[in-house]
Amino acid sequence: MKEPVYEVFARKSREEPLRHIGWVNATDGDLARVYAWKTYDEQNWSEMCVIPRAAIIPVDPGESQFVTAARDDHEDEIVHSQGTGSYGGGDVAGKEGR
Amino acid sequence: MTDTLPAAAAAYEKADQLPDDVRAPLRDLVLALADSKRVLGLRYSDRMLGSPTLEAGIAASSMAQDEWGHARLTYALLGDFGDDPKALEHERAAAEYRSIGVLDAGLEGWNGMIAASLLVDMALTGQYAALVDSRYVPLRNRVQKLLDEEKFHFQYAAGWTRRIAAVSELRAGLAAELRRFLPQALRWLGRDEAPGMRRLVEEGIVRDLPSARRGRYLARVGAVLEETGLAGEVGLARDGEGWRYDGELDWAGWDDATRRAGGSLDEATAARARGDLNRALLMD
Repeated sequence: MKEPVYEVFARKSREEPLRHIGWVNATDGDLARVYAWKTYDEQNWSEMCVIPRAAIIPVDPGESQFVTAARDDHEDEIVHSQGTGSYGGGDVAGKEGR
Repeated sequence: MTDTLPAAAAAYEKADQLPDDVRAPLRDLVLALADSKRVLGLRYSDRMLGSPTLEAGIAASSMAQDEWGHARLTYALLGDFGDDPKALEHERAAAEYRSIGVLDAGLEGWNGMIAASLLVDMALTGQYAALVDSRYVPLRNRVQKLLDEEKFHFQYAAGWTRRIAAVSELRAGLAAELRRFLPQALRWLGRDEAPGMRRLVEEGIVRDLPSARRGRYLARVGAVLEETGLAGEVGLARDGEGWRYDGELDWAGWDDATRRAGGSLDEATAARARGDLNRALLMD
């Protein structure tokens, strides 16, 4: 069973915009929340969100780090980010599965 | 509603203000919580490498650190009772530990890890939650942050229970571990008739009696087990508005003070809990 990717966004204060800080693989949103909170805990975030990558619609897929090429078997949900700065995944390019 | 609390509900700022028959059982309770947190963190740490996914291992590592942080916070409270928290943490023999008995043995694989996080961690959390509005101020001031962190532990446990229960070849193994942990976690919450616990409730130190805590605990974990179809397999059933455990709780040899029924942590585990290997590096 392959796990979907959840993108992680956070900010340190209400005045700051949310920014993308990384991603986690998780079977559901609850585990994604836990993994995000426990993985990206080096900063004192005031807010953190996780978003299923499959829910992100890139305006320009050719330029997006969230691009997920559609496939018949729906494995688009497990495609990794490019250069998202996540732990160990910052340089993972394109459609490498885990 | 009045603007001032009645005298009987005044806060206790220091342990020496507590009546003698309240101070002793409160110390017992705090020590049992601290020791259980310390050993739970150790057991989690044994499972953080080799976890099913990298994320699950990172989270388990963080949870282990949380538990040790909670233990340290809880041991520190005992300084107000005349104890030396450093001695409690680093100088006791295995037989003196009051950690929950089901953690005397290590966790059996990932099923054990998840059963412990759902059933043992949440039993401890349920006991801490009964202290959140305690009249003993030092305790009340420390509990909320701990409970906030435990929300993530519950989500972790629930998420992994769902995940394992959905895999047919793993489901029976998880159910077996849940069946092993549940009666011991329920028993650890204590007896309503324990005189010390009754005094703690009368004085407003603990919110309510163990049977009420068991009810809230079962409502929380029962919902997860029901959702995954495991409730019946572990002996849980809905009973009106609440839940009923159909198994027997074995109170033979039960000690209300230590919350144990005999047995002991082994010396090797106690040595790890004490930090024997790094004793020479301990800082004041």
